[in-house]
Amino acid sequence: MNFSLGLDLKELGKTTQVNNIQQPKGHVWYNRAVNSKEMKGCIMALEVSHVVGGYSQIPVLKDISFDVKDGELVGLIGLNGAGKSTTINHVIGLLTPHKGKISINGVTIDQDSQAYKQQIAYIPETPVLYQELTLREHLEMTIMAYDLDADKAWETAHELLKTFRLANKLDWFPANFSKGMKQKVMIVCAFMTQAKLYIIDEPFLGLDPLAVNDLLNLIEARKKTGASILMSTHVLDTAQRYCDRFVLLHDGQVKTEGTLSELQAALPEAGESLNDIYLSMTKVDRA
Amino acid sequence: MTDLFKDRLQRHLREMAKYLRLVFNDFFVFALLFFLGGLGLGYSNILKSLKTGLWWSPVVALIVLVIVAQIGRFATLIEDADRVFLLPKERAMHAYFVAARRYSQFLAQCTQVITLFILAPFLSVALHWTVGKILILAVAQVVLKDSFLRLDLASAYQVTGQRRMNQWGFKWLLAIVILASGLWLTPYLALVLAVVVDAAVALWTQQHWQKQQIRWREQIKIEDNRMLGIYRFFNLFTEVPMVSGTIKRRRYLDWLFTCIKPKHSQTYLYLFSRGMVRGTDFSGLVVRLTVIGMLLLYFVRGQWLPVFLAALFIYLIGFQLLPFFQQYDDVVFTHVYPVLPEFRLKSFVKLVTLILSVAALLLWIVVVIANFQLETAGLTLIVEVVEVWYLARIYTPQRLARADKNKA
Repeated sequence: MNFSLGLDLKELGKTTQVNNIQQPKGHVWYNRAVNSKEMKGCIMALEVSHVVGGYSQIPVLKDISFDVKDGELVGLIGLNGAGKSTTINHVIGLLTPHKGKISINGVTIDQDSQAYKQQIAYIPETPVLYQELTLREHLEMTIMAYDLDADKAWETAHELLKTFRLANKLDWFPANFSKGMKQKVMIVCAFMTQAKLYIIDEPFLGLDPLAVNDLLNLIEARKKTGASILMSTHVLDTAQRYCDRFVLLHDGQVKTEGTLSELQAALPEAGESLNDIYLSMTKVDRA
Repeated sequence: MTDLFKDRLQRHLREMAKYLRLVFNDFFVFALLFFLGGLGLGYSNILKSLKTGLWWSPVVALIVLVIVAQIGRFATLIEDADRVFLLPKERAMHAYFVAARRYSQFLAQCTQVITLFILAPFLSVALHWTVGKILILAVAQVVLKDSFLRLDLASAYQVTGQRRMNQWGFKWLLAIVILASGLWLTPYLALVLAVVVDAAVALWTQQHWQKQQIRWREQIKIEDNRMLGIYRFFNLFTEVPMVSGTIKRRRYLDWLFTCIKPKHSQTYLYLFSRGMVRGTDFSGLVVRLTVIGMLLLYFVRGQWLPVFLAALFIYLIGFQLLPFFQQYDDVVFTHVYPVLPEFRLKSFVKLVTLILSVAALLLWIVVVIANFQLETAGLTLIVEVVEVWYLARIYTPQRLARADKNKA
């Protein structure tokens, strides 16, 4: 408890460089944040435990563990190349972990891929659409893929389309949409599924302020119905206001996680805002 | 900057050489020789029967020369990234463009000279021109083409009123006026006019380019279109990765999809069917092969040959359809959707069965019409049914499973 912060962080930086697996003892802020998670013990919607993985044999993620509870919005924060997208790709089942386990409400993808995927709705960072399908057909395809009740799903969809000002573009092809519009299509498709876990990769860039606001309202509403959201982002001030908890990734490892007040308590000298905490965390490696 | 162009030209020529080797394979060269030989023979026969002083002979010459004058575009070889990376070098780009124009001259002027060479006997017979007159006209044509390329170069700069000068209408009009004066009056006049125009364009560019900005976007678009045209041509002979199919709405074919019920198990049939109909890549392939097969079968008679040919075409179509299964692999939702891979494969098999059945039916109808023989018709039908069943239900899933295993 008596360590000065500067010394503490330097030491952490050193140890991560020398040996990734052996965790340094006596890192007050680090341990506290992890411990607080274990004390709560709620139902986990998403549980990522000791995942090692990446695109090739060389692991990008080095033993990552975190969770997202029911009705919780967790922000996945990290620099470019920290491993956010890799983490997300593992969660949505695009990549298979070398080691470790990912489960959604107790189901892993190996046990039942259908049940696993059924619970996820994914909004990619760069919108991807089927070039040959119109907007209407994309929505229909989503209904079919998730086996939704068509009438109910269309009701939700029409509401969402109206919110995001796409209602009159149902017969358009993706080629005619701007990037922001494509992103809205992704949002509509994801949120008409009533999934239990939403995975949203950097949603705020490319959307107009009105759409950002609408999206945040939508997330709030879904949280109230018990859905969980894992969201990666660089827009820290928005994340600070809306996320319940943060997972700070750095160099393929979870540097720390917790609520904003937990992070503040762990890093009292770093500053008040998430931005300050984040910057001080990344300084560890730069120093 | 001229070095940059030289580098790019080398890369470009190497690429073209690679494709040209594929285009001019032995078979094609052989066919081309026959074709040209036939054409030459026809031309010499027409020349023999031609009389001097026909009213339409200068018209024919004019049409040929005006069209040929448009051939040979300004090849700048500039790339999309140039508008960012070369922006600070904008003034120096002029040297690059001049180098590009010099290179473009070569191919374009070769075309002009060869055309005049081919046209020379016609001019001498139909118009009773001397060799000197023909030579003067050839020089006029070359100078005219030179002024066109200068115009293209000038249009790389942003000048008010410039847009109109580089328009195709302007070029056609210029070519018609100058060449008509040469053909009906005297080639000397055409030469003088061409030189005046060429000098005027050169002088005007010289005075203006330093004060103007380069129209990067337009130039890049023009170059992209030029390259796309070349790649399209190559694509007729071999796979060219730069040419990707386009997508057409084809609303008039929407009735095809009405029989596909929006069921969970048919999610991918929904996608595959629309992708097949609206994309031009695979549907074009299927239609082309079916039509060629039908034409061929229409002219073929016999007991076994039609059966064999029909089977061959069905195999070709079925084989070419296989890669369509992976068409949507790079759309992340293909992997994220909670749909079992078995459903995806089943949907694909259904689609292949349907396409092959329709193609087989069409081929069979042609066989029946062409031969009008019970035995051949029956044999073809049996072979086709067995083949479609085997290709779609057994071969396709096996191949795709193996490809999947190889990837993993």
